[in-house]
Amino acid sequence: MAPAFPSGDDWTNFGIGGRPNYKRFSFRDIVLRNRLTALVVDGVNFCRMVEEGFLRACGVETQGVDNGDAAVELIASGAKFDLIVIDMYLPILDGLETTRRIRAMGTRCKMVGVSASFSERDGQAFLAAGVDALSEKPLSPEILVPILRELDGQYSSI
Amino acid sequence: MDRNRLQHQVACMRRSLFDQGYLDEPFIQLEELQDDANPNFVQEIVTLFYTNSARLIQNIEHALNSRPIDFNKLDDHMHQFKGSSSSIGAKKVTNECTVFRDYCSAENAEGCSRSFQQVKQEYAILRRKLEVYLQMVRQAAVSQTA
Repeated sequence: MAPAFPSGDDWTNFGIGGRPNYKRFSFRDIVLRNRLTALVVDGVNFCRMVEEGFLRACGVETQGVDNGDAAVELIASGAKFDLIVIDMYLPILDGLETTRRIRAMGTRCKMVGVSASFSERDGQAFLAAGVDALSEKPLSPEILVPILRELDGQYSSI
Repeated sequence: MDRNRLQHQVACMRRSLFDQGYLDEPFIQLEELQDDANPNFVQEIVTLFYTNSARLIQNIEHALNSRPIDFNKLDDHMHQFKGSSSSIGAKKVTNECTVFRDYCSAENAEGCSRSFQQVKQEYAILRRKLEVYLQMVRQAAVSQTA
């Protein structure tokens, strides 16, 4: 049996640092009606595991690679994804160049650029390279869930 | 130990980890990924965090001891460490990483060394507290199935 951590209800008794209680946004809040697929490109395996875990908890079929070259090769081989989550700092081929190459191959899917922190310049550069949205690590449900709902809705409206 | 008391102790320790600023919201998100299909997810992810952190700390130390210091490389390593600490919700560690990166962008070697000691210290404290907390969680789980 999985160790049980204090549940969301317990937070009504133990609010974090005295903050008022509020309804938390959780990765398990979303129920997808369509099959969505995602690729996580992150060279830090711990971060990649977290990002993949969040996407799977949302019901998304998720793959992960740890460098830009592998991502480009995967897409060049014909793999299609509804969403790509890509770290700005990648080994071998960096996040900016990887994004440019993925876009240059005609990939139009949603891309979310992530980083530990973004300077104004880095953020603008990443957007110019082709990501649609930015998120500082970790990926929060507040950012991810609306994107997934939008992608899910696009399928439903076809 | 009595099951209810154990669970109460777990909840109290958890509350203090958050109230004292060691952990933040992302840790809760990770806990929510644990279920019967992934019964050991939190322990696995925390263990991976330790392994990852040990490697990054070593890289930072090596870069700090090189002459001349390559501040770009140093910043890259700390950027990665900051990314993984923020992903686990290690609030104090992440804050110290930010201080370090400020010294790094100013190419202040002494500042980097000093703040790196702080980063390591906060990481060591967090690791100790997490180990104690997760051991208590495991004990409480065992007492539930007993």
